[in-house]
Amino acid sequence: MNSYPPELLAQLAPVMFVAGLDAPDAVPGTPVAPTPSTPSSTPLRVAQDHFLVLTQRLREVLAAQRKPAIWQPDKAKTFQVVLVDKEVRFPPRKVPPPSDQPQAAASPHSPLSPLTPTSPLYPDGLIAPIWVRKHTALLPSVFVLFIRLFEAPPHLLPRSPLDPPHPDRENEERRKDAEMSAEIALRKKTTNERGIKLTVVLIASRKMLDDPALDTRLTFIRRQSGLDYRAALFVLSPVSPSELSEFVKSLQQALYEPAVEYYTSHSKRVRRKRNRHAQATSAYMGPISPLGSSSIARPLRPEGWTVRYEYKMACFAEFRGEDEVALKHYQDAYSTLLVMFGSTAILPPRTKRWAEAKVLADCINIKICKLYLYNNEHSLALSQHTIHIRRFSDFSRGWGIGDETFEYWSWIARQYRVFGELLEQGTRSTLKLPVHAPARAPDLAASATLPTGLSELDAMRVLGLNPASALQHPGFYYYMAAGATEKRRERFLGTLEVIDLKNIPVPPGFGNEKKVDHLAIVLELYTKSYELFKTHSVVSNGQGQGRLTLRIAYRIAQTYYASGKFDMAVRFFERIARTYRREKWGVMLKPLLATWYACAQQLGDVELSVRLLVEMLGHGPTDDADDDGAMQEDLLAVLKSTVPSKPDEPLMVDLSESEPIFDSSIVFWKSEASVNERVAFQVTLTAPRSVELSALSFASLALYFSTTEQPVIIRHSTEPPSSAGTTQKVDLGEIAPGGGDASANLRWEKGAMIIFTGTLSSAMPTTLSVVRGALTLKEGNWTIEIPVISSAQREGDIAAPRWLTSVDPVRFIPLHRTNYSEVAVGHRPHQLHVDVSHQGPAYLDEEYPINIAITNSDDRQLDLDLDVLLQPTEIDEAINDIRIDDERSSSLIKGVSLGTVAPGVTAVKTLYLRNTGAPGDRILDISIQSHAPSDGVSDEPSSPSSPSSHLADTSELLRTLAIPTVDAIKTVYDVNYVHTKNPLPGLTDLRTYDSGYWDDGQGGEAVIKVKFECAGPWGLSVEKVRLVRKNGPHAKVIDCSLDEDEDEVASEWLSGDEFAAVCRVSISTEDDAEDDDAIAGPGEYELTWRRILANGDHGPLSTTRFPLPLLQPPRHTLVALLSLPASAKLHVPMHAKLTVRNHHPTRTATLSVLLEPDGNDAFLVAGLRSGRVPTLLPGAEAQLVWTLVPVECGFVRIPRIRVLDKRRVAPAPVAADGSPAPVDEEEMEIAIIDVRREKLPGRSKTGGEELADGAGAVGPIGPVLVLPR
Amino acid sequence: MPAQLGLAAVAFVSPQNYPILIRALSSPSDDLLKYHYLAHTSLDVIDERIAAAPKNAESYLGFLYAMEEVAVYGYVTPLKVKIVVAFALTDAVIRDADVIAVFKAFHLAYYRSVANPFLKLHVPLDTPSEHGTLLLAGSAQWRGFRRRVDEVARAAGALPVVNA
Repeated sequence: MNSYPPELLAQLAPVMFVAGLDAPDAVPGTPVAPTPSTPSSTPLRVAQDHFLVLTQRLREVLAAQRKPAIWQPDKAKTFQVVLVDKEVRFPPRKVPPPSDQPQAAASPHSPLSPLTPTSPLYPDGLIAPIWVRKHTALLPSVFVLFIRLFEAPPHLLPRSPLDPPHPDRENEERRKDAEMSAEIALRKKTTNERGIKLTVVLIASRKMLDDPALDTRLTFIRRQSGLDYRAALFVLSPVSPSELSEFVKSLQQALYEPAVEYYTSHSKRVRRKRNRHAQATSAYMGPISPLGSSSIARPLRPEGWTVRYEYKMACFAEFRGEDEVALKHYQDAYSTLLVMFGSTAILPPRTKRWAEAKVLADCINIKICKLYLYNNEHSLALSQHTIHIRRFSDFSRGWGIGDETFEYWSWIARQYRVFGELLEQGTRSTLKLPVHAPARAPDLAASATLPTGLSELDAMRVLGLNPASALQHPGFYYYMAAGATEKRRERFLGTLEVIDLKNIPVPPGFGNEKKVDHLAIVLELYTKSYELFKTHSVVSNGQGQGRLTLRIAYRIAQTYYASGKFDMAVRFFERIARTYRREKWGVMLKPLLATWYACAQQLGDVELSVRLLVEMLGHGPTDDADDDGAMQEDLLAVLKSTVPSKPDEPLMVDLSESEPIFDSSIVFWKSEASVNERVAFQVTLTAPRSVELSALSFASLALYFSTTEQPVIIRHSTEPPSSAGTTQKVDLGEIAPGGGDASANLRWEKGAMIIFTGTLSSAMPTTLSVVRGALTLKEGNWTIEIPVISSAQREGDIAAPRWLTSVDPVRFIPLHRTNYSEVAVGHRPHQLHVDVSHQGPAYLDEEYPINIAITNSDDRQLDLDLDVLLQPTEIDEAINDIRIDDERSSSLIKGVSLGTVAPGVTAVKTLYLRNTGAPGDRILDISIQSHAPSDGVSDEPSSPSSPSSHLADTSELLRTLAIPTVDAIKTVYDVNYVHTKNPLPGLTDLRTYDSGYWDDGQGGEAVIKVKFECAGPWGLSVEKVRLVRKNGPHAKVIDCSLDEDEDEVASEWLSGDEFAAVCRVSISTEDDAEDDDAIAGPGEYELTWRRILANGDHGPLSTTRFPLPLLQPPRHTLVALLSLPASAKLHVPMHAKLTVRNHHPTRTATLSVLLEPDGNDAFLVAGLRSGRVPTLLPGAEAQLVWTLVPVECGFVRIPRIRVLDKRRVAPAPVAADGSPAPVDEEEMEIAIIDVRREKLPGRSKTGGEELADGAGAVGPIGPVLVLPR
Repeated sequence: MPAQLGLAAVAFVSPQNYPILIRALSSPSDDLLKYHYLAHTSLDVIDERIAAAPKNAESYLGFLYAMEEVAVYGYVTPLKVKIVVAFALTDAVIRDADVIAVFKAFHLAYYRSVANPFLKLHVPLDTPSEHGTLLLAGSAQWRGFRRRVDEVARAAGALPVVNA
């Protein structure tokens, strides 16, 4: 911005002249003459100090109100304060025209008008910066005069308020005030002429403010001096700084309106002139001299006057703070200026006026941009700027300073720079840069149906943006300025060349251009841009540096290079290359390296040169250099002509981040191997096709393997390669741990390939790989080490792993493996043979033997350990356990040592499994761990902190067994119930109250039959079967079939064999037993048995128990039991006993018994034929006896006997006549049970109904066998 | 496809910020190096936009910046491949819809090219990720990608139609 007059760029603000605040100790000789500010030259010292401080502070506060600046959008009512002398004079308003100017003789003109011959603008200038300066520095809009109010010396003051005022004092005051008023009136006169507001601030002591006479004095002063009534007279006493700034603020507030009025009146005046001028245009057109006589001074053309007036009005509007109005006028001025530039007749190029107009246009452009930016009209501002550049570029072509001239580029650079500076100033205060992120999707969708209310511009904004008017941060514009300056330098150098060659006339401005240090400007601009990019970048790429800044840094480095500051350039290159290398942007890296190398050459840094050349070899030739051997030659030339700084040490070139020179590939034949197994590898080094390397004299190649401490050195030998093609194979043989030596021809043609083959082995488990390789280049005094095997791949190059099978012809086979470049070496797996044998299925309750035989088929001794895990089962009531030797567990037996087993030896262990519960599969996991005894070679002291299982030579064998388990013996129970044969105790029988009394009257007896069956596939040797009694409170075993011969039953049962036993159980039920109560069986059968093994041996003794079933005796109410002998003799009397029992807990029973003889009967009967049994109380019984004499032989039936239970049915409702209803009687016959045949089933579990008396399982009464005598 | 957009260059950058393909599309094609720089520098702005945008934001990142006579637009595919397109700077509104159409076409061209199964013919199986093959798609030996990109450019009016 420094290239433009500051007056034309600065933000204008109302101007306030402040007088009377001169520093009292001003040095004589300063432009402002020191005048005594107050009449009181001998006041009190202290008071004087107060006023001095006040004056000083006032000066500071006022001056701080506004600093002249370009970017100042705030609209606070502040003034541009100019401190002036009290006696300051304003510039002359109008001067009368000299007599020799007939043209404008009519009226006097301002000395700055083009019509005034003495004016710098005479005769056809547009407007000069001096005009703006006149309004900013020489003419105020308000004039503030600070005057010290006279205060009487203390001796004239009254001692007390009651004292009359001192007559001298009053007179003195009146005299001084009159003097002061005269002075003010004088000033008032000059300001009135110009329409400038005059305000007087009287400075008085604090005491004076309280003086009652003050008001009178002030009124006097105002009247005398002719001051306005409004905002024209203030009184100020020494106050604190904060109060002072308040005062200044209110002062400005009060005076802002008059200031605006002042500038408005100016605007009005100018507008009048412009309008008058526009009407009079035709009059001016006449006397214009023709084109040819441009040397003759021509008056300003009407367009010029328009520009002048519009510019003035814009300025006045700006003074008033009316940005919109100012913008409008500036735009008018600008467009008229463009019209003027459009014609070389109006503004002939390369004249003084033309240059002035150009500056004016540039400045107006900046003002327009600025005013747009104040209003956040970013695109409008930028398009104004772009249009300005485009229009003037067009004009420039017409003026012969097109884009082939340095002048043009100088101007372009200036425009971008000024714009950048404007934005920079703006962003430092209020300007917010727009964000150009795209509108969200809904917005885009909404834009499909545009609301009609939107203007077209708005509509376009919704749809997208114009990149040309997207405002960016100032760094971009500095960058463009720098670019333009670079072009300027190019053009300048081009011109310089042409001038030297052809001796053509020197273009205008060339002399000045020669003095310009272009590169310094470029550097400055790029540096500014760099800083701005840095501040405006949000994201950095992890290194604290964005890529945009790197780009600029690269330009800076290039500029440094161009200006010969190579050391600076190198520092930049180093940093930039790091990111470019990492992100593999080789195309950008190549020119960078080339320039860097050039710098290194210039600096004479040979080592850096060598490093860079080696790196450049890796990147291949630059696009412009078609001679691909150039780099090789460069390198050789450097190496031959120079001496390294440390000749003894090899120079290590680090290519880890950049592209490798050689494409390397490391391939192993296998990905896994055992210790001491030799694994073949191939290391391939391929030279690039695009770079010539054949002349580089590589002395040796060192290959570092993961297993060897020393590298294998392959030295160069001059003997010709073994095969003619570009593919060579070098056999390195077995790589010894101590490294080794080999030789080969280490020269690569373009695209040539050398494959180093060999085998590698390890005595320990490890990972085999080729760690690195380094080529040593020896030339002259130089020894350079270049790493050739690196993880870095060439950009976009992925080599498939392949294995060379034949050199002539060259043949590869692809390796389809994931990890081909390393080999995992592990111990050989242990050769163990595990045999698990058992004779399934297993029986329940048996200790089932499982034989585990482990045979060591390895050639080493192995320590073996055995773990067995019994998986938990979900089988009901299954309680299983396992046992090995003495160790027993229900889940896991761990670490059973089998000791050290020699090769070929078998270790055997028997595992016992015991199962109970239900049949089903049992699952066993068997794990055999083997480890080589830790002695011998593998006893390496591995670090104790990390006991890596990898190194321990162990292996594990796993077996899972499913053992089917079945029942050895199945049982079937058959339960029947009979009534007790004992008589029921009477109701009042006292024995029933004894504690040991067994009441089986209700329960009766159960007869339990059991059938054992040998169910499994294997035979059993049963040693003992017995009933273990467990008599309970409700049931007890009476006897059992096994009681006598429990030991004699020992026998062998084969599969399918059955064995039966029977026992009787007496049951004593509770009186109030529930229906579903069951009585536990009072004992269990215990079988002791051994399994008969396949070879006839007997297995271990096992015991199986079968508990007696649950007992559920039937329930009865009325029971009739008939007891008959099984046989009788003819004609010998026998007895039939009928027992009737009432088992009902509550009801009595009334029974009638009928004996119905028949003619065919085989018996003669003596006894009751028909009668009633006495009423039976609950729990009572009655017995009836008949004597029968058989009269026939054979199976004969006794006469039919019926027992009827007569019960009243529920009484019917009483009849209507009151007589009792006839009683219904119901007869129910009770079945008679033949006790000889009695066999009752138990209650079914679910059956809740009581058995009908005697119904159901009651058979007919059996016959009696009558034998003859 | 919209009419004249002034398509100047396109760049495909891998998620690791390695260049996949950078192709100048204007005819005559000018300095390719310049477009390398533009593509590389625009990654800054792309990173910024992605960081600022909410998750699952649009692929289209819009106008990134204007520099050296071109306006640079950005696009990031769901798999974080960045596509950068440079348009010649003219004083006209570039409709976002048009730019998105161009980006989608380029994205499809890229997608189709990467889907070429033969790209992986000589690639070792343990390539850590896909990006190696992505870079391969842009290498000189595979012409399909370039051809597709040129087709898009032709449709967008940047390149002359071959058989016209």
